[in-house]
Amino acid sequence: MRAGIFGVGHVHSESYVSNLRSSPGVELVGVSESDPAMLAEWTARHDAVGFASDADLIAAGVDFGIVCSPTNAHLNSVELMASSGVHVLCEKPLATNAADAQTIVDTCTAAGVKLMTAFPMRFSPSLATGAEWIKEGRVGEVLAITGTNRGHLPTGYAPWFADPELAGGGAVMDHTVHLADVMRWWLDNEPDEVYAETSKILHPEVAVETGGLVTLGFSGGVFATIDCSWSRPDNYPTWGGLEIEVVGTDGVFTVDAFAQRFDLWSKGSTSWVDWGSDTNQLMIDHFVGAVRGDHALAVTGRDGLRATEVALAAYRSAESGQPVVV
Amino acid sequence: MTLRIGFVGAGNMAATHAAGWQAAGDRVTFVLGTGSRRADQFAADFGAAVAEDFATLLDQVDVVDICSPTDTHLAYIEQAAAVGVPIVCEKPLGRNGDEAIRAAAVCTSTGTPLLVAHVLRFFPEYAAARERVVAGDLGHVATMRLDRSTYLPMGDGSWFSNHERSGGVVLDLMIHDIDYARWVAGDVVRVFAKRAQPEGSGGHVLATLRHSNGALTHVQGSWAFPAGSFRTSLEIAGSDGLLTLHASEPFSSITQQHDDVADVPQPPNTVAESPYVTQLRHFSQVLHGQAESIVSPLDAAAAVGVCDAIEKSIATGHAVRLGGDV
Repeated sequence: MRAGIFGVGHVHSESYVSNLRSSPGVELVGVSESDPAMLAEWTARHDAVGFASDADLIAAGVDFGIVCSPTNAHLNSVELMASSGVHVLCEKPLATNAADAQTIVDTCTAAGVKLMTAFPMRFSPSLATGAEWIKEGRVGEVLAITGTNRGHLPTGYAPWFADPELAGGGAVMDHTVHLADVMRWWLDNEPDEVYAETSKILHPEVAVETGGLVTLGFSGGVFATIDCSWSRPDNYPTWGGLEIEVVGTDGVFTVDAFAQRFDLWSKGSTSWVDWGSDTNQLMIDHFVGAVRGDHALAVTGRDGLRATEVALAAYRSAESGQPVVV
Repeated sequence: MTLRIGFVGAGNMAATHAAGWQAAGDRVTFVLGTGSRRADQFAADFGAAVAEDFATLLDQVDVVDICSPTDTHLAYIEQAAAVGVPIVCEKPLGRNGDEAIRAAAVCTSTGTPLLVAHVLRFFPEYAAARERVVAGDLGHVATMRLDRSTYLPMGDGSWFSNHERSGGVVLDLMIHDIDYARWVAGDVVRVFAKRAQPEGSGGHVLATLRHSNGALTHVQGSWAFPAGSFRTSLEIAGSDGLLTLHASEPFSSITQQHDDVADVPQPPNTVAESPYVTQLRHFSQVLHGQAESIVSPLDAAAAVGVCDAIEKSIATGHAVRLGGDV
């Protein structure tokens, strides 16, 4: 199966390239990037073939592609891919606004290509255990969930993450969607209310919000909070992390999705070294299997749309100072 | 001079305070009681006499320590202030913000010292964390996370489960962290909160506080955790740093729990001096004119006001503004 990476603006392209090369039966055709300097640098580093445009990459013949451009550029790539019958694995959030996200979903549906949102946490074995625990009622009825998805200021990876135009916002856009998706998945329910408080105290040099606390209300009364702040300092041992805790009528469980790590003291420095399952690899292998027809997609474009809508609702709430209905 | 301390209330907190006064070198001389077995036992335990009425008690002590149910605090404070007897009052200062303000005001107008037992300020880890903030190690505080999760107090302390008397999990438990949040990040200007209240539980609450300086605090307060459990956590993220307090306590245990769950949740002691003793030692110094109180009556009243706002947010489903600009 022939694969392409559409855009290298997203830092995840750095890991997807090796994931694609490790995925059985997949051949990496190349990457497209409109910025020639970025393309030259990236392809040299990864020994990959570069294409100056998405159209050129598609013309080289690809069955599926991973969209890794800045968020506001997703739609253009997806429309081109879908019209050429190329299946789409799209970085999150799907788009910077609801209309674009909806169009991405509709375009892929109309073209009959598969669309998956890049939510690797869906493939975390520990989070899957959490889903099972809820399904089996191991903590009774779920009352509330707290999630944290904090990270470095991501402009160190790519400046566009803090560009309101390109990213659609800051920490809320970047770090609300993963947990919103896990919560929707676990509860098998949609949030109907979103409240958010945001701040610009961390990293005041960037234009977007860098701190945020989001509250979700679900039909039936379950509620949840998401801390999406870019609150890990530059010298934090890793990019950040994702933790989630469920409180039920009969107990409590917690998942730290990145707890599978060594503390390594070596040659004068201290670091955390992950040893857990590679969720990006599991996600890509799953997508490839779905394109092959082995199974249905476990996470879809619609999931990405819903999560994006939560983030967008958070901005409306932060603006108004009151919860908003979604 | 050794202070003579008279107690109102003879329950768990009264015994804790009495031990603290004795450790500070003061004497527990009276406890208010009208034939209650608990008061008799308390008197025997601490070498005190039982006073049949409050006026008699006030005549014969240097300080009155009020550890009675929350809804009785104001009446005792008014009587003690009328005769100018210095007051130590267990938190919360009042059953609602109005009561708390009246309690603070009557002490101010009569010149009666009023020390409210917000003991968290005396827990060494919480005090030391705030010192790092005051020292500037974290820059401007941006997001804070405070958690206090345990089970509903049982047994003779069952008035806790009576919302009218105790104010429930928000006013009795979360207020610790609400006061701490104000101590670290200042006045609260807006709150949003949700509560789950399953049958037989004391309730589970998640609240977002916005402070006047733009800092955000996430507070979890739970009386819905499994019986026997008690967990707290603290994290402060600022523009120049991050402070996290891990659950890796110096003492941890896993035990079979049969019928040996304590009536009132208490974590194992892991410091040389109990924070309750540290607190009473401080209050003793204040009353001897050797120290300035680190807990002002207005702070204690403001914490109750935030609890009222949380209750209002839970009841209305809206974010609730307090005084000051958002």
